[in-house]
Amino acid sequence: MSDELPELDPVIHAQARLRVVAALSALAEGDRLTFPRLQEILRMTAGNLSVHLRKLEDAGYVEITKTFSGRNPTTLVCLTRRGRLAFDEYTAAVRKLLEPPDVH
Amino acid sequence: MEIDDERPPASPAESLRLIEQERAAAERGLAAHPMAFFGPWGTAWLVGFGLLFLRFGPDGRVFVPMPPWLPLLGLFALLIAAAAVSGYVAGRAYRHIHGQSATQGRMYGLAWFLAFLGMGTTLPRFADHLPEAEAGLLWGSVAVGLTGALHLAGSAIWRDRWLFALGAWLILINILGTAAGPGWHSLVISVAGGGTMLLLGTALWLHGWRR
Repeated sequence: MSDELPELDPVIHAQARLRVVAALSALAEGDRLTFPRLQEILRMTAGNLSVHLRKLEDAGYVEITKTFSGRNPTTLVCLTRRGRLAFDEYTAAVRKLLEPPDVH
Repeated sequence: MEIDDERPPASPAESLRLIEQERAAAERGLAAHPMAFFGPWGTAWLVGFGLLFLRFGPDGRVFVPMPPWLPLLGLFALLIAAAAVSGYVAGRAYRHIHGQSATQGRMYGLAWFLAFLGMGTTLPRFADHLPEAEAGLLWGSVAVGLTGALHLAGSAIWRDRWLFALGAWLILINILGTAAGPGWHSLVISVAGGGTMLLLGTALWLHGWRR
């Protein structure tokens, strides 16, 4: 039997980044969330959140865009298609790990 | 909360718990409170149509004497207030989301406005030719039917079963109330329409308002 344990994506398998990706996965596809609201939902400091968003952006999992709403600069964040896929795979892998092992 | 961020979750179960916790927090943080919509609309219908019933009862009965303009003005004022509150709440709740949902929300809000603008400008042409009681029923039945249809359309946009059920229910009680005639229609819409909205809002609130 090839009951190998699934490998967990190291980018997501860190508490802070898992929380970021999980929160962003609740957005509808095609939507972007403002940075301050994401910060509020996650209860993280701006600096801390920025660090982790940059790592997720480097991995191609999140897209960060800057825009203006009126005269105020706004930072918008969303999962990329690749990020959503990685999150789905991570979730599936974790669930698999939680399944009771096959007894033969 | 400064946790050791780089540390992996302690176990797969902990990973799953974190995922569920943050998804739930995001869903709550991104959606408006259900009572922000169902509260004002349910109250407006319950009280507004209730006043209409008490002043313009079946077969011209007057249960509570009041000037004829009072229940109409009351209903109108309550509906405007409900529209203002829900528009404000929706604007606030979705201010932080950009993209597709924002466009959908704006178009849906505009759909309500245009639908009722059309109703308000076409019905007087017919209402003027009807006896007072029938004219009142015309306004009431078209407004409730339109509301039901818009809820059904909204349910298709957000794949929201509760909104679908509410739209279908409003259309059903509108048919029954209209068949029962002037006066009865107001009573049915007040209790079964406004009352149902308040109950639905309360139920969704108590159950963590997940769709």
